[in-house]
Amino acid sequence: MVQGEESSWRMAASTHHERAIPLNQALAYGVQAHASASVAATPPASFLDFQPAAAAAAYFGELEEALIHGAANAAGVVDPGMIRGGDVHTKSAATAGYLAARPPTLEIFPSWPTRQQQQLHSGNSQSVGSTTDSSSAQNTMPQMELVSPASIRASSEQQQQPQPGQEVMMVTTDDYSYKPGLAAASPSFQQHQLQQQPLHGGGDHDKRKLGSTRKEGKLVDAKTERRLAQNREAARKSRLRKKAYVQNLETSRVRLQQIEQELQRARSQGLLLGGCSAAGDTSSGAAVFDMEYARWLDDDSKRLTELRGGLQAHLLDTNLGLIVEECMQHYDELFQLKASLARSDVFHLLTGTWATPAERCFLWMGGFRPSDLLKILIQQLDPLTEQQMLGIYNLQQSSEQAEEALGQGLQQLHQSLADTVAAGTLNNDGPGVPNYMSLMAIALDKLANLESFYQQADNLRQQTLHQLHRILTTRQAARCFLSIGEYYRRLRALSNLWSSRPCESFIGTESVSPPGTELQTMHHQPQQNQYSGF
Amino acid sequence: MQYGAAAEQAWYMPAAAMVAAGPESAVARVERLASESAVVVFSVSSCCMCHAVKRLFCGMGVHPTVHELDLDPRGRDLERALARLVGAAYSSPAPVVPVVFIGGKLVGAMDRVMAAHINGSLVPLLKEAGALWL
Repeated sequence: MVQGEESSWRMAASTHHERAIPLNQALAYGVQAHASASVAATPPASFLDFQPAAAAAAYFGELEEALIHGAANAAGVVDPGMIRGGDVHTKSAATAGYLAARPPTLEIFPSWPTRQQQQLHSGNSQSVGSTTDSSSAQNTMPQMELVSPASIRASSEQQQQPQPGQEVMMVTTDDYSYKPGLAAASPSFQQHQLQQQPLHGGGDHDKRKLGSTRKEGKLVDAKTERRLAQNREAARKSRLRKKAYVQNLETSRVRLQQIEQELQRARSQGLLLGGCSAAGDTSSGAAVFDMEYARWLDDDSKRLTELRGGLQAHLLDTNLGLIVEECMQHYDELFQLKASLARSDVFHLLTGTWATPAERCFLWMGGFRPSDLLKILIQQLDPLTEQQMLGIYNLQQSSEQAEEALGQGLQQLHQSLADTVAAGTLNNDGPGVPNYMSLMAIALDKLANLESFYQQADNLRQQTLHQLHRILTTRQAARCFLSIGEYYRRLRALSNLWSSRPCESFIGTESVSPPGTELQTMHHQPQQNQYSGF
Repeated sequence: MQYGAAAEQAWYMPAAAMVAAGPESAVARVERLASESAVVVFSVSSCCMCHAVKRLFCGMGVHPTVHELDLDPRGRDLERALARLVGAAYSSPAPVVPVVFIGGKLVGAMDRVMAAHINGSLVPLLKEAGALWL
């Protein structure tokens, strides 16, 4: 403890003005002389030696006055702590009293207030611990040769009134220096400390008891205190901001999930027709195609109702023929749309992103497989003449052959493309390895052939439909187109039901019965066909 | 499938062939070649669509005569002539081949062949040219 006292005093002494030391020492000499003088009632000649003569008289008067005042206080405080008797104590009491009377000019060590100020705060509730602490500190003081700590203590007593704020600063600085890491992290701790400070600054004493080597006399000024407070405020604000940001993120995430679910729902119901599979994949041409296709589907449903109505109403062939012609043009329109997209983005068509999932199952080279469609239709168009049967059969066979040929050509394209892309994936610097860019250029050329294959497949589909139209009579053609349209409408409805499956109970396809008695037989069979493996 | 004798002639008897073929224009040569067999296909060895056409004919039981233009020294000229016959612009990225002649008469590119097959006109043509027997 003594060591701490000494070191802290020395620290304070070094941080403060140099002129304080000689003055201090001089004071010590002066006081000693005076002390002896008070006992022996001799004038303080030595005291006057270093003081300028002009101020000497006033100085002495003030000193005497303060001496009387200070002695009483010092005595009052020291009494309870009087554990050790003897000259040491009386001397300390006397010095304390004398030093208490030190004029204000000697408040050179403003950073020493803590303990002394706490002692003399009569208005505040002082814990016993503080007084005992202070007294124990005082006990150690006389053991020090130099009187300076006591003098400093006395000066702080003078200061306690004019600078109450320093107490607060003192504690906070101590806290800050003692626990620098916690200073920012635990504002509550500091606030607690600040609240405790006016009471007794017990924390400070505790720290002293713990034997911390922290400098008690660290200079605390308004600037530091303000800075610390600002730091605390900034930390608090940033914490609040972070909280708000995280909450914002959470709500956004939930909202995004909701929107995605809605989108999924809408898409499954065919509103968007699986438009954008991935944000990056959809080209502008594909987007336009999707819109046009949606319009085509609306048109398609209109055609179907017209056909149905025409067949039911038993229209004349001429009128029905017009409707059938319109249907044919309707399909040609679709092939036109697809052809225009194939020039820019064939992959959108080939991967079937424009089609519903159930349609995608049966996708062959970006569309329906003609021979499969014919297999379905043959069972629908039962009342056929021999010639018609033969024609349909030949049509089926030739489309099968054409499909086979295209399939084999495509297979060779795949093989060739794979060979090109895979060339030299392992050897980096081999002599026979083509360089990367030329490899890519070759692959690009080969990939361009996909477009021509798709065009040929679409061409095959279109030709098949036209041929059907040629073979069949008007009425049969009307029924044929109606069957085709209804088949695909049901596939799309199946996709919708499938995608909304978890939320709703499954609705059997039997409930989806189209009107029109004449077409009953025709429409029962597609249901069976849907489940027969193609 | 028999591969064109024209290419062989050009290889083994360059002088004679050049002399004989000198004044012959590419178009004339094409026509000459086309009338040499019942079914003549002008193709490129690496072209996949040509492969598809060849498979189509083989599937039907027909054995066409194939002229690989990339293996012919005068292939470029032939290609240009074919383009003019078919009506496609030579500068277009789509290849001209395959081009099919049946019985010396031009059928066209792949789409024409397919259309002809679907509408049932291909088989009678083949039969007429003697490439198919019932």
